[in-house]
Amino acid sequence: MTGRFFDWNGSAIPFREGETIAAALTGAGILHLGDDSVGSEARYFCGIGACQNCLVRVNGAIREACLTRAVAGLSVACVERRDHD
Amino acid sequence: MIEAQVLVIGAGPAGLAAAIEASRAGLAVTVVEQRETIGGAIYRQAVLGAPATYQPPAVRARWRRLVHDFAGCGITVRHGSVFLGIDGDGLAIVENRGTGHVEPVAAKAVIIAVGAIEKVLPRPGWNKAGVSTVGGLQIMMKETGRAPEGRILLAGSGPLLIAVAAQMARLGNAPVAVVEAGDPFRHPLTGGGLLAYPTLLAEALFYLKDVWLRGIPWLRATTVAGIEAGADGLVATLHDYTGTERRVAVDRIGLHDGIRPNDFGLSTPPGTSPVVVTAGDCREALGAVAAEADGRRAALSVIRLLQQREEVGTTAALRRERNAQGLLSELFAPVSARPLLSGLTDDTVLCRCENRTVGDLKALCGKEDPLSGREVKHNGRFAMGACQGRFCAENTARLMAELRQDAPAPSAVDLTGRRWPIRPVPIGALVCASDDTSKQE
Repeated sequence: MTGRFFDWNGSAIPFREGETIAAALTGAGILHLGDDSVGSEARYFCGIGACQNCLVRVNGAIREACLTRAVAGLSVACVERRDHD
Repeated sequence: MIEAQVLVIGAGPAGLAAAIEASRAGLAVTVVEQRETIGGAIYRQAVLGAPATYQPPAVRARWRRLVHDFAGCGITVRHGSVFLGIDGDGLAIVENRGTGHVEPVAAKAVIIAVGAIEKVLPRPGWNKAGVSTVGGLQIMMKETGRAPEGRILLAGSGPLLIAVAAQMARLGNAPVAVVEAGDPFRHPLTGGGLLAYPTLLAEALFYLKDVWLRGIPWLRATTVAGIEAGADGLVATLHDYTGTERRVAVDRIGLHDGIRPNDFGLSTPPGTSPVVVTAGDCREALGAVAAEADGRRAALSVIRLLQQREEVGTTAALRRERNAQGLLSELFAPVSARPLLSGLTDDTVLCRCENRTVGDLKALCGKEDPLSGREVKHNGRFAMGACQGRFCAENTARLMAELRQDAPAPSAVDLTGRRWPIRPVPIGALVCASDDTSKQE
């Protein structure tokens, strides 16, 4: 383990330098990224920023987990969690 | 305001080839790329220390040459930047994800090379967590150097499934099976036609040999009819051409029913400025070799258009790739006639972003006067959501055509329309842009 972590809904998720948030969450066994506003299961799907299925809140801003690089200390949460507003 | 002679959108093979060609012609080029890396989906590189993806030598050689040529040009790449479209004043609008602001770019020419997206046919449960596109699984594998964990099922159609199965096996976790709607072995004559394309044939055999040697089940003439949550992961229901049904318990499922241009929302503003040319898979989805050739064609077109001359037409290289892809489509044609989408259960989700179902569309289309694609979008919220119809518009249009055979068959673009922004953008980012622009004026 490299000692790099970001926060996912209160859990520390390890990642390697250069990995996306989606890759790190998948590596940690997290496939269900919460439910969105219409009740669809958020998830990693297309991997290229097209489908918008993997939207998460990154330090409060809604971002595609598949496009956004993991950075130590980031606060990442399900879109519907409002702790960061 | 950012200024560029040529703005290239996307750093995949088409965008990189276009940028190299334009730069060598003496034009000042800026590339806009949504990621922190270049190469697009096809040439995604592993993070530091992770093993490189298992690919044929010819593919690796193409990438090395492209990245070498690109580096030699000293072209500016604006990473973490998402292209939103070209506004009414002819400015390219780019969201800088680093600052959270939108940046207008004044360019003489814009080359749009935003690639392809995968087609995924709707089946009950396709919208569940744990289901990805096969390309999505592959991209993450390229990035991490790790195969997806657990019991993986790859399903749909085409040579990509074989490539990903081989790449997964090389990384220590072969899929439990590859489910293929077609059966290339039923078309030996068409298969023989591939002899005219030795690079493509070599690539196919490169991956197929791993699938054979490792005994990965390749279930041809078979489809995934539905996906349910199981006690422990997902359960896929498979139907083969004899009508036999079987169920497979897995952890994750990759679906892939072909590719199509990612041309959603792309529109050329009226007037002559800037010159706009599309290149690569977003113009015609023919794969990486064609994309590179088309990128060069796009750059030459831009040069000619800037001189008030005509755009360069289809090249021989492109026609060759089109013929090769045509052969592959014949080889992988579904064995059973494609089942009608109207045969799906009413609760099957068609549009995942807005959670709209087959039943919802049937209710809309049951009215006396057939609705247009645009009305189905506005009244029914199909193709209205965050993916802007990329994954539902074509399927929705197809089901509309099945339900209303008395009306003209709609197309995906009838539902989506063409207008910017071509990606969702926070209102705050747009507001910041107008502030910045007014300060400069």
